[in-house]
Amino acid sequence: MLSDNKFNPKILVLATEACAYPGADAVGKAHLEYGANVYVFRVPSPVLFPEDFYLRCYAKGIDGILIAACGSDCPYRGAYDRLAAHIDSLTTRMKAGGLEIQRIRLTAICTVCIKAYLKEVGQLDEQLRALGPVNQSVAGQLQHLARARMRDQSQMSAA
Amino acid sequence: MESMKQETVQDSAIPHTPRVGVYICRCGGNISDVVDTDHVAEICRLIPGVAVSKVHTFMCSDPGQQTISDDIRQEKLDRVVVASCSPFLHELTFRGAVMRSKMNPYLYEHVNIREQCSWAHKHDPRGATAKAIQLISAAVGKLSHSTPLEKIRLPNHRRAMVVGGGPAGMKVAADLAACGIPVVLVERSDRLGGKLPILNRLFPNGQAATELAAKLESQVLSNPKIEVLLKSEVTTVSGFIGNFEVAIHGDFGPSGHATDIHTTVGVIVMATGFKPYVPTDGEFNFKRHPAVVTTVDFNALLSKQKGDARTFQFDGRCIRSIAFIHCVGSRQVDGVHTPAVDGRINTYCSRVCCTTVLNQALQVRQRFPDTRVYDLHQDIRTYGRGHEEYYTDASRAGVVFYRYHGQEPPEVTNTNGPTSPLRISVKDYLSWGEELEIEADMVVLAVGMTPGPCETLVDQLKLPRGEDRFLQEIHPKLRPVEISVNGVLLAGTSQAPMNIQETLAAAGAAAVKARAMFTTEEVELNPYVAEVDAHLCEGSGACLTQCEYDGALAMVEILQDGHTVRKAHVNAGLCVGCGACVAVCPTQAINVSGWRIDQYDAMVDGLVRDLTPTTI
Ligand SMILES: Cc1cc2nc3c(=O)[nH]c(=O)nc-3n(C[C@H](O)[C@H](O)[C@H](O)COP(=O)(O)OP(=O)(O)OC[C@H]3O[C@@H](n4cnc5c(N)ncnc54)[C@H](O)[C@@H]3O)c2cc1C
Repeated sequence: MLSDNKFNPKILVLATEACAYPGADAVGKAHLEYGANVYVFRVPSPVLFPEDFYLRCYAKGIDGILIAACGSDCPYRGAYDRLAAHIDSLTTRMKAGGLEIQRIRLTAICTVCIKAYLKEVGQLDEQLRALGPVNQSVAGQLQHLARARMRDQSQMSAA
Repeated sequence: MESMKQETVQDSAIPHTPRVGVYICRCGGNISDVVDTDHVAEICRLIPGVAVSKVHTFMCSDPGQQTISDDIRQEKLDRVVVASCSPFLHELTFRGAVMRSKMNPYLYEHVNIREQCSWAHKHDPRGATAKAIQLISAAVGKLSHSTPLEKIRLPNHRRAMVVGGGPAGMKVAADLAACGIPVVLVERSDRLGGKLPILNRLFPNGQAATELAAKLESQVLSNPKIEVLLKSEVTTVSGFIGNFEVAIHGDFGPSGHATDIHTTVGVIVMATGFKPYVPTDGEFNFKRHPAVVTTVDFNALLSKQKGDARTFQFDGRCIRSIAFIHCVGSRQVDGVHTPAVDGRINTYCSRVCCTTVLNQALQVRQRFPDTRVYDLHQDIRTYGRGHEEYYTDASRAGVVFYRYHGQEPPEVTNTNGPTSPLRISVKDYLSWGEELEIEADMVVLAVGMTPGPCETLVDQLKLPRGEDRFLQEIHPKLRPVEISVNGVLLAGTSQAPMNIQETLAAAGAAAVKARAMFTTEEVELNPYVAEVDAHLCEGSGACLTQCEYDGALAMVEILQDGHTVRKAHVNAGLCVGCGACVAVCPTQAINVSGWRIDQYDAMVDGLVRDLTPTTI
């Protein structure tokens, strides 16, 4: 059991309804175990999250996020590529802003990808334990910047 | 650390103080053996907005559901959370339960504390209990931002499209039309019947394939409700249950010219059948020696035999011996068999080949007593009613059996040119592993089944395939002819290797399921589509650049305070709710109903909320 003062990262898994969420269910059905610090949210497609959402998660104390998507099995046209582009841009900004990019991971998990799921959450957990807690105030600043940037961009293109 | 969290970000504003009922399921110990459910219930009472928090042994049971109904009435609940198994099992059950108590079903949230908690953290009961609490807290957070939603209602087009005119497709079309449902039957070849015309005497009753084909065909052709399109294929398909838009290309124009038809159907039945496995060049000497043929070829050869010769004839020669080899292209072994171009091997059993071989072997022995028959198998799987008799009869008729192991398939060599016999070496386990050599004038390869050609529909409708590449049903027992795309059904060997009996049984089931989908005038869809907050929308048009679905999103001009302004507008019937538009909106004006960003923010707040009793 964990001692009380040992850092236990909070991991959020954003799992697609069509693939990764049933994939995570399959792990439990097989009675395979992973840390209870891993929380899964169901999403139609993670393409819907704006960049600042992720940063807000960090600002609130989520230490790491695993985006478990459908990959090439994505039921929505073009969504996976757009998602990958969002995450690309997010990691660039995290890097520039001083937030460790190991805190975000994008992967494809299918409905029976038990091993892949365990590997991904296991590796993320390990990395986060090495990194320590997320710097919430840095993340908070970055999320405000990201939101402001989106506003500016749209005003510029409107002008 | 906690205080720092509070400083950095505040909880997202709660627009409404709800009265939430939280119900925690023990699942007869499946959950409560690991998660301390009583403790969870106690702590959940501390979550802002929670009015009731209870534990039940089986929430999905009638008494469990009744508890919810009673509390909605007596405790004036307006939101409900059930923490139990995966939402895929019982989300709809509990939505139904709250609906019966006149609560909007979208004010219900399901929390998974079995598959993703008790089962996955068996050795960490403390961790699992804490996790269950935070997940429930997240769901309560989401509900405080939820608004009642209404299902989307769209017309249900009372017409079915059946793809494939084999036994399965013909049966579905005939059964559906018999219930008065108009059917368009799309067949890519120039005739109906699928594989029937290439079959001969069918197991298990010896009926002529042509006779069965004629019966099914007349049921189809005599019903004016069925429109048969030959030499045609579906080129594009989109939409959803009740409203599939399809384009069919084929030679059905007035003078046989290639034409395109556009039509709307409510249901699609996939009866695209199978392709017989084609042995690779040189596999058992296939294509290298003319007397190495497949069971498909052999059916044709059997039908062509003339006169009353006592010996089987091939290429003007007397065939004194035939060796059948089972499992060609089925039950392949990694490392032994060469993978196909896609890198796969067929590890599955094709199920019909064993009885096919015995059926053919028996016909040879009965009609051509001077032709010897050898049967080389891994196992004999005559699994259907009336099939085992073929084995007994073949043994009695003098068929000689050899048994090989999958890792050591027999080898076929050419002795001396195209008219000379073939030599087969086999390690025979019926004689305790003896290495034997057999000479045969002809070798028949019992080829298995591979999925029929249905890529266009698979790609465009996103139909799932199994590990074996056949179309995959939702559940092998509970929902055997349905596929995860609502409104699409499976019939026959498009789904898995089946004999005709099983094919027609599956087709009958698919027809009934299809018929049931037309019981309502309208189809109801979950309201999970994009919604625009007109107050927030500034008409940037950023959303439009992301939308992949024609017509789902448009900019419209509306009058606001005496000015004409541009706003985004969603066509709910065409939006699929992917949310690509949401991520780019500069003012967060567009969201997917039921999966709003502010709901997710509230879930994260709930997840990190400190619920240790002392700090509250
Ligand atoms: C050698 C051999 C012997 C057999 N003997 C027996 C037997 O004795 N008894 C028995 O019960 N079973 C037997 N079977 C099995 C039997 O053939 C199948 O059960 C049966 O044919 C399955 O019917 P189906 O309609 O699912 O598929 P199919 O017969 O394959 O028909 C599919 C139809 O769909 C069409 N199609 C495919 N894709 C498309 C598309 N994209 N668009 C439009 N049309 C399309 C095809 O042209 C075809 O007409 C045998 C099989 C083999 C290989």
